Amino acid sequence: MHGRRLRRAGLACTSAALLGLGAACGSTNPGPRSNTVAPPADNVAEVSVDYGPPELTGYLNGLFATVTVCVPGTSDCQAIDHVVVDTGSSGLRLLGSVLTLSLPTWTDDSGVAVAECNQFLGGFIWGPLRSADLSIAGEQASNLAIQVIDESTYPVPSDCTGFDQSTAEALGANGILGVGSFLQDCGLACAVRLGARSVNPGVYYACSSTTAGGCQAVAVPVAKQLSNPVLFFSQDNNGAIIELPAIPAEGAPSVTGSLVFGIGTRANNALDSATVIRLDDFGNFLTQYPTNGSPSSAFIDSGSNAIYFLDSGTTRIPTCSDPFSDFYCPGSTLALSARNQDASGLVTVNVSFNIANARALFAHQNNWAFDNVGGPSTAPQSGTTNLDAYFDWGLPFHFGRNVFTAIEGQTTPVGTGPFVAF
Amino acid sequence: MQRTFVSLTLLRRMLPPCAFVALLFFARPASAALGGDATSIGAGQTHLLASARIERADTHTMHELQAATGTKVREYLGNDGQVFAVAWQGPFRPDLRKLLGAYYETYLQAAGPRAARGPVNLRLPGLVIHMSGHQRAFYGRAYLTDRVPEGLSTDEIR
Repeated sequence: MHGRRLRRAGLACTSAALLGLGAACGSTNPGPRSNTVAPPADNVAEVSVDYGPPELTGYLNGLFATVTVCVPGTSDCQAIDHVVVDTGSSGLRLLGSVLTLSLPTWTDDSGVAVAECNQFLGGFIWGPLRSADLSIAGEQASNLAIQVIDESTYPVPSDCTGFDQSTAEALGANGILGVGSFLQDCGLACAVRLGARSVNPGVYYACSSTTAGGCQAVAVPVAKQLSNPVLFFSQDNNGAIIELPAIPAEGAPSVTGSLVFGIGTRANNALDSATVIRLDDFGNFLTQYPTNGSPSSAFIDSGSNAIYFLDSGTTRIPTCSDPFSDFYCPGSTLALSARNQDASGLVTVNVSFNIANARALFAHQNNWAFDNVGGPSTAPQSGTTNLDAYFDWGLPFHFGRNVFTAIEGQTTPVGTGPFVAF
Repeated sequence: MQRTFVSLTLLRRMLPPCAFVALLFFARPASAALGGDATSIGAGQTHLLASARIERADTHTMHELQAATGTKVREYLGNDGQVFAVAWQGPFRPDLRKLLGAYYETYLQAAGPRAARGPVNLRLPGLVIHMSGHQRAFYGRAYLTDRVPEGLSTDEIR
């Protein structure tokens, strides 16, 4: 089945070339990828894919940066390493257990302290919002709302549900630097009040007391919500680029790359020949796998640690046995192609990627960066579309590519965000 | 309360009378969901209710609640009146404690730290849970494998 699919893709490409359809074929990206990673600069932070915080048990495909936070307006600062760079969320969140600074409380319009139940897929992180100055590379954001991941200040409300990821062990990192396409982590839905009751979906809470039940879901104006920190830089504030070099098929213990701020604002962040894929209101585009298959909703997420797509029944790729059942374990490495399409359907680009046997990859016990690890997403494909089963282009997609994320409403040389480009 | 009243008034205009009566009956707040009975439909979600609809099939009845925040929650009842599946999609995840009901603790115990940082795929005895997406775009479903009616594909639970 896989062989047949591969041969078909190869034939299509060869016939296109024979017919002189260079452009059609040229949009595919075959063979080893190569890109240029920007050297350090004012708008370039070094990032790494490595073991993660040494005291923890190792983080598969974690993209880490070091951020410096300060008590606002002072030189009382702390550098925090191993913060996950996440284009799947917006806002800076730091573990309270590593933070030594005493940061001021962030309050709502009534002057009450605000805490957040930030939702992840099946989990949450809980803790108060605080105010901090942030610097990363030469970029600075003043008096920014950040979340301190900490359950000791206010107890977790009973309607903040799911698997609790508020500990170092569960998080696997010292924090999350959300530099996705959204301006805020919640937006209007958390800001609107209807009648006496907020329609807040249980994200922001006003905490009037440190006892159980002391925090109640509350509407918070957009301007006071946790926001993508890039927005608050005085320049290079329309998005960011993740640039990671290509790596060997067996993975690497540690990989160094760049997190470049701004899109088309300087010589080192031009879009050049990157294909721009505009995003819909939910931050998604479409992916067809195989390239003539049914479209799935799709997104690029540096915070997902594999390429998660469809399911075994649809892909015919077996999943691994426990404890690696979240990953695919094909008999030999598969060279696959998918077609990405923007929300308008006008722009399409083919992408090639490899899926190797995850169990065999993980046998390289010193390696933590892999460009070919995949796993099943959720719903099997049935019918002509599969818009509720996401195709999640995680960190493996980024190796050997420069991946741009433009923030919604922000201006770039190729139009207003949100979009991704690569 | 005011919000619920407004919504129901709107619904009365939009829905055929029989559906509205059914909604009034089923939308009564209660305390369980997956594995619970019809009175649990919409439990804890009614204050967010913006619209609702009911679809009947030979094998089951599907209740869909669309929250004002944009998240759609679907609950599937077997002909025995028990909820055998739930699904959600939208910018915010519903309250899992309320939606999974008696199975919430089972989910938490199985969820534990994993090497995978991405979608959740749990196959537990009698219970399957899937979740995928990202901040502002969540999708998930959970069903009781032994209670999915014969003749209904689990692919249709979405």
